[in-house]
Order: sequence, then structure tokens, then C-alpha cells
Amino acid sequence: MTMNSVGRLLNILDYALYALRRKLLKNVSVFCLFALVIFFLSSFLLVSKALTEAAQRILATAPDITVQQMSAGRQISIVASAANELSGIFGIEKIDERIWGYYFDESNGANYTVIGMRTPFVGSPAALQLGLAEGRLPALAEQGKVVISDNIRQHLQLGERKHFSLFRPDLSQAGFEIIGLFDKKLEIITADLILMTLADARDLFAIPEGYVTDLLVYVANPNEIDTVARKISDTLLGSRIITRNQILKTYKVVFNWRSGLGTICLLTALAAFVILAWDKASGLSQEERKEVGILKILGWQTSDLIFLRFCESLTVSLLAFLSGYVLAWVHVASFDGALFRPVFLGWSVVRPVFSLAPPFAVEDLLLVFTLSVIPYLCATAVPAWRAATVRADSVI
Amino acid sequence: MRPSAGLLGVLLALAVLVSGLVQSTASKRCTQEENVRLLQGVVFHLGLSDLALSTEARYTRHPAISDSVVVSMDHPGAIDHFPSTFFWAPIRR
Repeated sequence: MTMNSVGRLLNILDYALYALRRKLLKNVSVFCLFALVIFFLSSFLLVSKALTEAAQRILATAPDITVQQMSAGRQISIVASAANELSGIFGIEKIDERIWGYYFDESNGANYTVIGMRTPFVGSPAALQLGLAEGRLPALAEQGKVVISDNIRQHLQLGERKHFSLFRPDLSQAGFEIIGLFDKKLEIITADLILMTLADARDLFAIPEGYVTDLLVYVANPNEIDTVARKISDTLLGSRIITRNQILKTYKVVFNWRSGLGTICLLTALAAFVILAWDKASGLSQEERKEVGILKILGWQTSDLIFLRFCESLTVSLLAFLSGYVLAWVHVASFDGALFRPVFLGWSVVRPVFSLAPPFAVEDLLLVFTLSVIPYLCATAVPAWRAATVRADSVI
Repeated sequence: MRPSAGLLGVLLALAVLVSGLVQSTASKRCTQEENVRLLQGVVFHLGLSDLALSTEARYTRHPAISDSVVVSMDHPGAIDHFPSTFFWAPIRR
């Protein structure tokens, strides 16, 4: 490309920018709407990506296999002795019993997740890994000792007090003493957790002796998880077997384009795009026709006029794309997706505090670009051609 | 200055801004790495299966191990009314 043709292109671009400035209000409106659409699309994509990626990283150490008992399509308690039946399956390293459930706090409408476990790791280095901000874990034989999150402490309005009580199903009260607090950095998984011993959880939920909520199976060789899961399924009839891969797969699909908000964002974007395209394709004003006529008389070619319209569309769409994308990153990375947070936290009373750090992916950038800028440019191509082919003598 | 030069300057500034934001988020991710290891430890020792994002209902608190059909699970004909399910997609295993 010679310097002459570059100069010609720059001159046309300059003229396009002057033309945009002449219709400033209209173009600023298009720019704002376009940038808003891209902001929502990109924000949704970044929030989804950040949450999906966080789940994949954090839940990478979830139990190899979770075994639950089903009855009439619903989960019920499983006989703890089922662990003995499973112990014969080659490849199983260990089986942990666990009682867990939800506790609805009528005083504030919050749902807590109560987890009762044998805590053999008390006193071991593993206890350090649990990341308690203060205190310790309950020992196996201790009664009524719990570890909770600071979030729950605030909801229970305990202040400096260490004791609180929860209701059993028969409405009698079970008293607990807080002996440890989860670190605030762990809120994304512990915001609503009350950790206690297996015996205390059994007592709170009135689960009969010999029953637990589920069994956590750990397999020595990760390659054998599916095989072991199949054997467990054959051994325990009516059981539901959930492998770690299934858990991770769930979180891969749970925040995606098929989810409600994704659909809403996409439909909004499409609606906005249709309006823009309609506006562009709805014909030329008398003034625009006159401008084309004058330019043709001055020696502009049809290709120059098409390029002129292309420059106008490209300028608006590129500026809107980059501005919307920058705002989306600021929204998600600096404000942790504040606009979307009420939507994905829903009506939760206990709301975890966590920060989002989405990974950058070129394919996401291209996806937003392809969904927004390219269709806009395509939609403006036909009107640009129509404008460029106006006969000069018919409008002057 | 030519208007086209101004435009290129603005586009370049926006591109640099995007790159700066991506870079700063990447360093934020690096500082979070230690926290992720801590979280993995808790998940491992407590056998957790889900993130505590939305605590309003059991199928939003534990999507990985909740019932496979959530709509109408609590009451016949009950619609899926929690706002968070606008965000959470149906699960297909």
C-alpha cells in the first residue's frame, strides 16, 4: 500500500469522524447503548468464568466418591454399616461417615449448613490446613463444641458471647459453645457452616444411631474412581453415587449461557442490536442523500462512500466495544460483579464475602466481539451500499 | 492534530487500559493462590462438595448433590421462584 493510498484512507477516516461529530447526539446514544450491551455481555461472561474457575480449583480436593441413599426419588439417611459392605471393594483407601443437613433459623430467616464429622485430624498438622482464624476444632469425645464462620456469629448476634442454642425437631434446645472461627478468607465455602462432632449432629437432627447422611469414599488410585463407583452402585442398591468428576462437571455447566441471566443478557443484546440495525437500515434522510450527492459531484467514488460508512460504523462499534469491555473488567475485578451479585446470591440471608478474579481468555474476547461488533458492521453494510449508490442528479 | 490520530490514540489508550486491568487481575489471582490451597485443605478434610454461594435453598446451596429435578420439588406445581436460579443453569449429568 503506497503512502498515497494510506493518506487517502486517513482522509476518509477524518471525514467520517467529522460526519459522526455532526450527528453527535444520535451517535453518542448509539455508542452508550452499544457499550451497555457489551458491558452486560462481558460482565456475565467474566463472572461466569471467575465462578466456574474458582469452583474447579477449590473443589479439586472434593471427596472421590460420595455415597447417598435414595428412596422414592429423595435422599434419605444411609445405614452406617454399609461402609462394612464397601470395605471389601478393592481400591478403596478409606470411608468417612458424615452427618450434615440444613438448619433454618426462624429468628432471622437464615439457612445454616450443619456438618457433623469424626475429627481425627485434631492435633495433627491437618488442623492447620482448616484455616481457623481463632480457636480449635472439636475433639472426638467433646460434646456441644462447634466451629462457625464469623458470618454466622453476626447473624446469631452473639457479640462476644460463646454460647448459643439450636432447636431439635422436638423443639427441645441443644446448647453449643463456639470454640473456633473459620477464617474470613474461606467464606466462599464456609460462610454458612457449623462444624460439630458426628454425635452432636446426630443429636441435633435426631438421626437414629447407626445412620448417617452420606459416606465419603476415598480411592487409592484416581484412575479407578469410576470403576469403584460402579462397584459401589452394584453393591448398595438404591444408592446415589456422586464422583468428584461429576461435581466438577456440574460446576462447569452451572453458570453458562443456558442459565437464565445468560439468556436475558443475550436477548437484551439481540434486541438492542435489532434496534440499531433497524435504525441504520431504515433508509436515508434527505440530508444524507444530499451529502452523498455533493460528495459524488466532488469526485468521490462509490467504493469511497462505502468505506466512509464502514469507517463510521467501525469507529462507533470499536469505541463501544473497548469501553464496554473495560467497564466490565472494572465491574468484575474491582467491584466483584456488584451488579450481578444480588442475582446469583438470590434471597440468601447468609451472604459470603469473596472476591472475583476472572482469568483472561482470548476466546471470550473474540466471542463478545463476534456477537456485537461483527453483526453491527454486517447490518450497516447494506444501508452503506444503498447510500453510496444514490445518483447525484436525483438528490441535488 | 488530525481527528484520525486522536481516534487511534483513544483506541490505543483503551487497549492499554484493558491490558492493565487483565494484568492487575492476574496478579490478584497470584496472591489468591495461597488462599486456594487453604480452601482445598478445608474441602478435603470436611469432604465438601459445593461452594457456599447461594444459601437460600438446598438446590442452590448444593447443586452438585441436590435432587436432579428441582422445580416443583417442594410443592406440587410450585414454580422455581428463587432469583438465583435465573443465574444457575439446569444440570445435565
